[in-house]
Amino acid sequence: MASNRAARLAQLNAKALEWGTVTHVETVPFGGRLKIERFRLKNGLELLTCEDRSAPVVAYHTWFRVGSRHEREGKTGLAHLFEHLMFNEVEGRASGEFDRLLEEAGAESNASTWLDWTQYNIAIPKEKLGLVIGLEAERMSRLVLREPQVTSEKEVVANERRFRVDDDVEGAVSELLWATAFDRHAYRWPTIGWMKDIEGFTTDDCAEFYRTYYAPNNATVIVTGDYNEASLLERIAAAYGKIPPSTLPVENYQAEPPQTSERRREVKKPTPTEKLAIGYHAPALGDFDHLSLSLLVDVLFGGRASRMHQNLVRKQELAADVRASVGPFRDPGLFEVFASARDGHRAEELLVAIDQELSRARQEPISEEEIERARARTELGLIAGLETAEGKASTIGFYETVLGRPAAAFERLDAIRRLGPSDLLRAARRYFSDDSRSIIFVRAELAGAAQKAAE
Amino acid sequence: MSQANVVVTPEPNVLVETSHDLPLVAVSVALRMGALEDPPDAEGSVRLLGRLMRRSAGGRSAEANDALIEGMGAALGADVTQSTVSFHGSVITRSLDRFGEFLIDALARPALPEDELARLKRETFAELMETLDDDRSLARRWFRKTIFAGHPYGRSAGGTKAGIEHATLDGLRALYRRLVVPENLVIALAGDVTPERAARFATDLASALQRGERLVDRTPEPTVRPGRHLVVVDKPERTQTQIIIGGLGSHAADPDHFALSVANTAFGGTFTARLMHEVRVKRGWSYGAYSSLPFDRRRQAFSMWTFPKASDAAACITLELEMLEKLRRDGLTKSELSWAKRYLIRSHAFAIDTAAKRVGLKLDSTLYDLPAGYFENYTENLRAVTLEQANQALRERLSDENLLVTLVGTEAVVGKDVREAIPRLASSDVVRYDAE
Repeated sequence: MASNRAARLAQLNAKALEWGTVTHVETVPFGGRLKIERFRLKNGLELLTCEDRSAPVVAYHTWFRVGSRHEREGKTGLAHLFEHLMFNEVEGRASGEFDRLLEEAGAESNASTWLDWTQYNIAIPKEKLGLVIGLEAERMSRLVLREPQVTSEKEVVANERRFRVDDDVEGAVSELLWATAFDRHAYRWPTIGWMKDIEGFTTDDCAEFYRTYYAPNNATVIVTGDYNEASLLERIAAAYGKIPPSTLPVENYQAEPPQTSERRREVKKPTPTEKLAIGYHAPALGDFDHLSLSLLVDVLFGGRASRMHQNLVRKQELAADVRASVGPFRDPGLFEVFASARDGHRAEELLVAIDQELSRARQEPISEEEIERARARTELGLIAGLETAEGKASTIGFYETVLGRPAAAFERLDAIRRLGPSDLLRAARRYFSDDSRSIIFVRAELAGAAQKAAE
Repeated sequence: MSQANVVVTPEPNVLVETSHDLPLVAVSVALRMGALEDPPDAEGSVRLLGRLMRRSAGGRSAEANDALIEGMGAALGADVTQSTVSFHGSVITRSLDRFGEFLIDALARPALPEDELARLKRETFAELMETLDDDRSLARRWFRKTIFAGHPYGRSAGGTKAGIEHATLDGLRALYRRLVVPENLVIALAGDVTPERAARFATDLASALQRGERLVDRTPEPTVRPGRHLVVVDKPERTQTQIIIGGLGSHAADPDHFALSVANTAFGGTFTARLMHEVRVKRGWSYGAYSSLPFDRRRQAFSMWTFPKASDAAACITLELEMLEKLRRDGLTKSELSWAKRYLIRSHAFAIDTAAKRVGLKLDSTLYDLPAGYFENYTENLRAVTLEQANQALRERLSDENLLVTLVGTEAVVGKDVREAIPRLASSDVVRYDAE
């Protein structure tokens, strides 16, 4: 197989375009049954493939290593706005033709932006793979940015912000929490951007961003599903081999200074019950402690059998909902807790109850039974996420982009199997520190409104 | 590799597809009836029953059951719609036997204890309060409640505060005896499971249940009030509005069902359809703009959904009404029709790309009494739709005069402009967002 591939690549490279020479870099096992092949083009484009013929479909992802962390004050939200603009117009095609062609081919396409990355995903019947390769290569190098599309898309994003943040209590509170917890690092502003920044973007801002970050040497293409490798490589080399690499800027990284005292904010929102959000500084995804903390947080907050659900929702009946997550980011992020109080209860009561459980986790080792349950939940989540070609591409793309290891999901699962009570106790004592947390208390402007109306 | 679907036994119906690609099994145990069985004064009873069965499976406590499910690497939900109850989940293969035993405990041996029901009711009150924070679900709830006013489809499967208060343990036990019988069951398994193993599970489950009678859905066909009506769901401090506009839609047995589905796709079913193009792409008014045409055992609603900022709400409603009028009057173009057909036929690949999805379609066919071959002949039926049929279906099935506009927003900000934006408005109501 390897010698066949080498011969095919030699043949392909003999007629390659300037930047289209393809090198096979490595083969990486992906779970027990599948494997990932890593290829690299001369222009720096990484290509990860994972063949799986269980359905006649292909998922095609493009992950760019640019997210809201690469923006600056006054221009927040540009990476996300750009994600929208990438669907508008490319040279030689009418505005909207990109989506039209894909939908006509039966494709499902979408995109997302977060702190560290922007990704574009297309799932398509296998016989239409060639169309996707051509379209994705086109918009990587020949996007058209002009009015009135930019202005119209800014208005769409402003409406998305109203939907996700301004009229959404949890969205607004999460934004405030990150802005409170971070002083210097670029994680302090929201991925969707501040409204005044969204309104202020110019076409020149967008063009500069495109030239800077949308280049093959800043991207990874992931192809999973039912495809022929030889044909795929030939098409990729032909489509992307014309695109030169760019000179990527050095990121203006600002380390977040340690937080040394608790920060509290209070806001009023048009909601019938009080809410509470807490953010503890947490390790980066690549840090070994991230695994321990994630497993611990699952024991405490994950699922109905978790300590917090049992205590706050069932026993004390203080909360309608309580949940938490550890941010999966390249740099240290937050372990975020969100809880919603039941009618008549205060956010302070939630804080006391949550603190009691966190304190217990700092003092007593977690039982092996609870750890095993959290391991099983993690395993189920990973397996269930791999059912479709799309799920496999997402998993591969995410871990490749954040950690540089496309099969890291399985590495993490193996590592989690080795974690024990000592690891979780260490994580609790290291990260559940009052001095390194920020708290948002949400006061309910509409508390008791229903009763008043009834009276 | 997958094997073909097999119907193992007729009663209970068992659908199974084997695929050893992943060590995972998807399991659904569904009942052919749902919240339509709620007592008139106890809306939400069937949902309470489903959740209480899961919590008290095998006579164990809810805490013990939650720990049991999660410890075996499984997830299990109990969902209730108007027409079905579904206990569905997935499990890592090594725990399949234990998961099957748990499901039998939940279906055949639930304790249904009084104290857990009381706790569940308090939890449900809190969850209903939480839904007031979600403007989109508020819009959907008030749209259904109003368009199907007086019909069972207008009631909430999730229940209301008053309905939950009225639910009693005796009432739930009576519902259990009527609903949870082998004659009402449809079982579906997909993934790392053999047909023989699936059949054994079904037999064990059926033999653990008391026999009964298969329930028949006697729900009448819904009708709508003539004229154009508006409901403003008044909520403070909204910078944006959630708008749903619609009327009666389709029934899967309609001879023009596929024609209307194609027409709806061209009008508002995708990102490049007419509605999205006019509302989002050209005007930037709303992040999303879609129309939908769901199915159930009786006719459902056709609806358009947008969420413009408050100052654009009136203009957006005007535009949508004009677009609907034009759609009915002028119909689709030939190129729109062929484009929509190609999209639907080709994208069907993603409705059947896993064993669980394929079995899920068969499950839907059985539960919703879809016409024979609905999914098996899906792409052929779409391919056969002509332009004349699609445009005829638009004129016959959709109305631009008998419509409901539901808007969640701040009445003082948007109410006057919105009322003026709707020509021939027959009635206008303002309700508080927490009025239910």
